Amino acid sequence: MNERLLRVSDLTVEYSTRMGIGLALDNVSLDISEGEVLGLVGESGCGKTTLGLSIMKLLPRFGKIVQGEILFKGRNLLDLPERIMNREIRGREIAMIIQDPMHALNPVFTIRTQITDVLRFHKDRRLDSHGEGIQLRNEAAKMLEEVGIADPAERLTDYPFQFSGGMIQRVMVAMAFSCNPSLLIADEPTTALDVTIEAQILELLKSLVKRYGASVLYISHDLGVISEISDRVAVMYAGNIVEVADTTLLFENPAHPYTEALLRCLPGAEARGKRLGTIPGRVPDLTERPNGCKFHPRCPYVREICKEKPPKLLEIASGHSVACFGYKKNE
Amino acid sequence: MTQEKVLIELTHRWDSCKRKSHLRIKKFAQIIRVIRREPRGLIGASIIGIILICALFSPWIAPFDPNEQDIANRFSVPSSEHLLGTDYVGRDILSRLIYGARAAAIVSICSVGIAVLVGVPLGAIAAYNGGAVDYIVILIFDVIRSFPSVIVILVLAAIFGPSLLNIILILAFTSFPAYGRVARAQTLSVKEEECIMAAKSLGATTGRILLSHITPNILSPIIVLAGMDLAVMIMWESALSFLGLGLQPPTASWGIMLKQGYTYIETAPLMIIWPAIVLITTMLGCSLFAETLRVALNPREREPDE
Amino acid sequence: MLKYFVKRVLGIIPTLLCVLLFLFGLIYLLPGDPASIMLGPRATPAMVEALNKSLGLDQPVFIRLGHYIWGVLHGNLGESVWSKHSVVSLLMSALPNTIVLTLSSMGLAAIFGIILGVLAAIYGKTIIDHLVTVLSLIAVSIPDFVAACLLLLIFAVRLRFFPVLGGGEAGNIGDQIRHLILPVIALTLGWLGYIARLVRDTTLEVLDMDYIKVIRSFGAPMSYIAYKYALKNAIIPVVATIGLGVGKLLGGAVFVEVIFNRPGIGKVITDAVFARDLPVVQGGVLIAALLFILANLVADLSYAYFDPRIRYE
Repeated sequence: MNERLLRVSDLTVEYSTRMGIGLALDNVSLDISEGEVLGLVGESGCGKTTLGLSIMKLLPRFGKIVQGEILFKGRNLLDLPERIMNREIRGREIAMIIQDPMHALNPVFTIRTQITDVLRFHKDRRLDSHGEGIQLRNEAAKMLEEVGIADPAERLTDYPFQFSGGMIQRVMVAMAFSCNPSLLIADEPTTALDVTIEAQILELLKSLVKRYGASVLYISHDLGVISEISDRVAVMYAGNIVEVADTTLLFENPAHPYTEALLRCLPGAEARGKRLGTIPGRVPDLTERPNGCKFHPRCPYVREICKEKPPKLLEIASGHSVACFGYKKNE
Repeated sequence: MTQEKVLIELTHRWDSCKRKSHLRIKKFAQIIRVIRREPRGLIGASIIGIILICALFSPWIAPFDPNEQDIANRFSVPSSEHLLGTDYVGRDILSRLIYGARAAAIVSICSVGIAVLVGVPLGAIAAYNGGAVDYIVILIFDVIRSFPSVIVILVLAAIFGPSLLNIILILAFTSFPAYGRVARAQTLSVKEEECIMAAKSLGATTGRILLSHITPNILSPIIVLAGMDLAVMIMWESALSFLGLGLQPPTASWGIMLKQGYTYIETAPLMIIWPAIVLITTMLGCSLFAETLRVALNPREREPDE
Repeated sequence: MLKYFVKRVLGIIPTLLCVLLFLFGLIYLLPGDPASIMLGPRATPAMVEALNKSLGLDQPVFIRLGHYIWGVLHGNLGESVWSKHSVVSLLMSALPNTIVLTLSSMGLAAIFGIILGVLAAIYGKTIIDHLVTVLSLIAVSIPDFVAACLLLLIFAVRLRFFPVLGGGEAGNIGDQIRHLILPVIALTLGWLGYIARLVRDTTLEVLDMDYIKVIRSFGAPMSYIAYKYALKNAIIPVVATIGLGVGKLLGGAVFVEVIFNRPGIGKVITDAVFARDLPVVQGGVLIAALLFILANLVADLSYAYFDPRIRYE
């Protein structure tokens, strides 16, 4: 259980925008062990989705990995050519679920076609051998049943626009697990869903994760969901990881000022009748990041050194790391 | 008390709507900037500029009278005197090309202008009122659009006879449905916007709403369409003149020059090459300019990065 | 799908009726007396009256309208004023030529346009993309008749690669094809440029979509995406504009047929227009309009076939 399944080291990703070049990820390091669920939490624009995409090497055209290492089971993914990524990593060892179910499937192909094509990728079959058509169809129907979709055989002939958001996410979950991946990257899979559906999908995920023994990088901005599903949590702010800790520890004893502030913003953190907590200021734009510690303009504990150099992510207790000059180790 | 609040709310919405209109006017300055920046825009604008200058100032720019014949020098090759050579009766090709720009400019601008002035209000009114009016207007559009424009143009040109005015009217007739449809689609989407409802509740008349509120908001795609249409109209003027159904000789029109070049294709290829180059370049310029306008007016369309 | 098909076909009927009305009304647009215009300035009153009678122009409007529609429904479009041949036979013998010309151009433009467009999108921002974009822009700016003249000049007159004029010997397929090549190229260029551009823009949009990212995350190779997954999405706008394309190509065919002196509907109509042969013009325009409406119908139905969302609206 102590094998490092995934180790990201000093990953830096640049985005070229109309307003200039910005660092979406700035020397980011984290690791995930086998069978572990790591929650990645942060506000929009902090780079958590970019991190997920980088691991899959699916950055958009204007993004570039300029530095770092992504070791997966010992191999550096950044060294692997596209061909190997497609054949061995994507959809096999590592699978991904994205946030918006309504755009996750191609609207002009049936559900059946899309599932069976993915099955074909996994099992190395040529894309047009005939005899397997029926076999694959049955497999697809079974997959739909497994994730709780009623009348799976009929639903196969439907088009994506005939499915609800929750149903599509179930299909995506089924497709992701169909190859028994070692790592699942779930990028805000329930953000776009109603609360009741959200609960169902979470339950589904939890049971499948347990059954297949997969590790999960669970990305979300919802602290509630994170606390429910993760073993450990990493907090991100403006392209940096600012704190990593076991879930209970993080929520009971947050070390970074940002984490502290986030937890204070949760409804229920303050007594009834008082205003919801807020964090003064706003998240800096990609191209306008401050020098030194990126959080310093909004930090209640800011000191001179915070404005000069960025703090490193260092362990302050067993299994608890923080990037903040407020802790002795960082001076 | 509540009535007052509603009135205040409505006035706020009206103001924000007006602000939106002002923002759209600021867009024009933005458009000029984009045009200056993009190479496409510069090239397109320059070409159009040159053609317009030729059209407006032909008598001063052209070295010769376009109708001045010089039989002794017919079919001559390019020389210092006749920069592009002469045609089959010795007329200077360059001068005829410069005067040809007039025909192109007049026909295209007038026909597009009329098409817009007729089509846009029709489409907007149809969409705004809905019901029977809408149905009839759409039927008219559809009937006109169900003929390939070529056929209609040819037949109408044959029936009414070739003349400058007829061509302009016929071309406007075949193209106004396109503007009508765009205006209608745009009006339908703008109609439901809050500022319109606010204006209505504050008592604005239909006419005023249509004029001051709907029109500015639907202009962008109309402008882009008009830009692209200019190129098409220039082509039609030449095409009709080529067939003999448009402007008549001895008028200098690129289409007529092409026809005459076609007749003498074996002996004097230059007679057809020069007008072809000029026509193609002009259409290219219009298309480039229209492209740039489209990119400038649709912020989403702009290539985002690098 | 069947319901949509029936709905669309029925929807054509009002338009068709108006088309017939308009064509019938053409005769009233002529300034002056139709018969004398058709016969020209040397017509004697007796000739004019004879023509009037044979064309039924002396009868009240509604009866004539009835006769006209009756005739159309029975495939009788009248007779040419000059040759006395039945309009239908004139048009039908010319129609296949135009259809061959138009369909060949449409097919070539579609095939090469799609290939170039997809390539340009996949290799976006590289030299291939820029080349395709620039060439498309130029191709679209060359009117059909100008392209026809230039091709005629370069390849037939100067280089003597291809025959200059005519449609080729009847019955000799090889010869007919040789006569077909330049006209088809002239027609194809403009439309090819348009389609290449359209497909490139659409494919670029498609490639940015989430579902492409998702299918890539499952390990789909670029070849799968280009030839199956994204292709269907990219073709949709092409299919939707088939009607537009046929209209444009029919129009271009008119000029190409005149320039290359090929037999075809375009030539028949143009000649009839100059000869003031109204029945032929009426019939020709009707056929052209029918073809156009048919093409638009095919376009709409294909659109529904490729994009299932349309069917369920």
